[in-house]
Amino acid sequence: MMKKVLFTLLCVFTLSTQAFGSDLETRIQAMEETLKKQQKTIEEQQKIIEELKEQIGNRIAAEKPKAAAEKTAPSGEIQKQVEELKEKVEKVAEAQTRTSPGIFNPSIGLVGETVFGYRSRGSTETGSARPGGFDAFQRSVELNVAAAVDPFAKAYAVFNASADPITGESSLGVEEAALQTTSLPWNLELKAGRFFGEFGRLGYIHDHELPFVNRPLALAEYIGGESRTDGLQLNWLVPIEHYVSLTVGAGNQFGGDNPPNYVGDFRNGSGVNYWGRLSTYFDLTPNISIEPGISGLWNPNTDAQWAAAGGVNPPFPSVAGNTFTERERRLWGADLVLSYKPLRNNQFQSLTWGTEVLYSDNRYDVTDSSGSALSSRSIGSVGLYSYLTYKFHRQWSAGFLFEYVENQVNNQDKTYAYSPYITWALSHWNQLRLQYTYTEPNAASGRAADNAVYLQWAWIIGSHSHGWQQR
Amino acid sequence: MVGNNAKEEFNMKSKLYSLLSIIALIVALCGWAMPTHAAQIRIVTTLTDLADFARAVGGDLVDVRSLATGVEDTHGVPMKPSFVPIMNRADLMILVGFDCEHAFLPALLEASKNPRIQVNKLGYVDCSKGIIPLDVPKSTDHSEGDVHPYGNPHYMLDPVLAKTAIANIYNALVAFSPLHKAEFTRNRDAYLAKLSAKITEWEKAVKPLKGTKFVSYHEHWPYFAARFGMKYFGTIELKPGIDPTGRHIQELVTAMKAERVPIVVREPQFPEKAPKRIAEQSGATMITLPIMPGGVPNTETYIKMMDYIVYTMVAAVQSRK
Repeated sequence: MMKKVLFTLLCVFTLSTQAFGSDLETRIQAMEETLKKQQKTIEEQQKIIEELKEQIGNRIAAEKPKAAAEKTAPSGEIQKQVEELKEKVEKVAEAQTRTSPGIFNPSIGLVGETVFGYRSRGSTETGSARPGGFDAFQRSVELNVAAAVDPFAKAYAVFNASADPITGESSLGVEEAALQTTSLPWNLELKAGRFFGEFGRLGYIHDHELPFVNRPLALAEYIGGESRTDGLQLNWLVPIEHYVSLTVGAGNQFGGDNPPNYVGDFRNGSGVNYWGRLSTYFDLTPNISIEPGISGLWNPNTDAQWAAAGGVNPPFPSVAGNTFTERERRLWGADLVLSYKPLRNNQFQSLTWGTEVLYSDNRYDVTDSSGSALSSRSIGSVGLYSYLTYKFHRQWSAGFLFEYVENQVNNQDKTYAYSPYITWALSHWNQLRLQYTYTEPNAASGRAADNAVYLQWAWIIGSHSHGWQQR
Repeated sequence: MVGNNAKEEFNMKSKLYSLLSIIALIVALCGWAMPTHAAQIRIVTTLTDLADFARAVGGDLVDVRSLATGVEDTHGVPMKPSFVPIMNRADLMILVGFDCEHAFLPALLEASKNPRIQVNKLGYVDCSKGIIPLDVPKSTDHSEGDVHPYGNPHYMLDPVLAKTAIANIYNALVAFSPLHKAEFTRNRDAYLAKLSAKITEWEKAVKPLKGTKFVSYHEHWPYFAARFGMKYFGTIELKPGIDPTGRHIQELVTAMKAERVPIVVREPQFPEKAPKRIAEQSGATMITLPIMPGGVPNTETYIKMMDYIVYTMVAAVQSRK
């Protein structure tokens, strides 16, 4: 009926427009305008009708059971139903006020990690910061705090208290404290502050999240521990149908053990570390995937960093009577992770093979034993680690880690290490790992081969997120 | 010395310019390779039941992708980087809610870099809206296992509550594309009519099972039990997300014998060993039931899945008589 009326109105309006209009184009435009207006009116009226229908429907639906209940159920039954409903509503209200990882602001989590160990050689023979023989090392107590800053960014911080290997005293440090944008256009994400820069596959993973007990030797040698930096990092998800991620960054230093360049002095662009990473991913089958990546790190001028750090200069031991001072840092990496994760029961079974190869091509200033400058030279050295982890139970996994590393100053100094390990995860938040490591340095290193057994116990309380990096 | 520094600066600058040129080239190539805007509404769902509902309501107007294929655990969909470009272009992200997807969705949402589908945005469609949860924990303490702070998230196994999820999907589609409201309404009504008829059929079929007790591996079934008048006796898991201990299994078997619990439900995502052992020791019948469409063969849609669940349950109980 309404449509008929509207149609009639439309015809009258159209005819009258025709009668009075002189220009054809103007008339067509006017007709179109009118049609749009009429369509809008129809839609608005339909909306009102729909809303009214819905209201009537709801009223009927609400009254029907009420009437039926009044007819059939005794008053005691109604009272019981009301009580049950009240209880349910109270539960919901209670749940909404409860502390949970998602709603507590900021979310806070604490991670603890203790490593019990036995090494057959002393630290003078292994070069380790930890003593030989029996050792109990509270490697870290990490406090994680994270929250949204505003609609445009989130922030997080990781405070780490670890025991000093010499004094045993714990010192609290800011391991990470960074701001990360959440709404930049063009698939961009900017991170600023102190954070683990994206280089390689495990360089930016915290110790307790590694698939084995210790950080691979190659990462310790070439990156300097975790890939910590004070700087800026831009990530770009390439807008194509295939996953490609590109990251570039710049910062004062790179590597937790490396001090920044030119502290307290003037720092130009050549004193800054630059890094980048390109990674992609392929599903070979629904259960098998491969994730390759390449990374690069460049510090054009590093010669001032060690001198500034307490006047320690040169940083590296003498080789063949000569002294090497790092002048330029160049590091390249290629990594690959091949995973078998059956969709159906990936929490109970999986197989992961991860490999990362690093090539360091640092340039050094060389002085001889009398202090006379020799020509500067680049030293190429290679390091790699490769591991295979098989998860055969929700709580159990076992694996093997192979490592090879050349000293970045003296590439004839080579070390091999072999580590079988077994992990027992009682739950997501409580994990024990037993690892045996045989380390075999060659004669050029001046160190001795040693056997080590480690028992790592890591735990989490409070909030913990399943981050993208732990996939 | 000064000359050397100047030369280094020049080298560094030229390297930086090269790097910037490469990035600019990649940007240009990507602009060329970017797909043209699709006419359909691009929907990503976490689980397959939601994908089925989205297809039913959206019809030809939507292009629906589900992160899960159906065989996964609802809490353990692998975080594949291949999901990221799909989510990056999504108009709507439909999820179960009640923290069901907490193990994989937050990280994927962040990696997707799609502001339209982030939490509290129009494209973030939480289907738990309007559902009163069961088993809301008194504490989120981990001594109770991997508890869901908002309550049990497996409401989708109650087909009446599934209607609320459908309503949420419908509302999201209408809000996103009001011009197609009439078509969405028509599709929704047609599907709801079909579902309502099936609910009547299932309720009739399950009537003889009223009061029947059963156990399952994970806490998937309280909503199902409440809807169809069955009694959910307990779980094989010690606590949510925590594997059973030998002692827990023994206690469960003893209690099942005492209470004459006839059914052990094994969800296909979990190993068969423990449910089979419990069924053998307690004298119960073990059945394998899917928890989302596609979990076992011939359950590709929600209605087919519920058919499978209901009639497998009925057949298992009847075979014992």
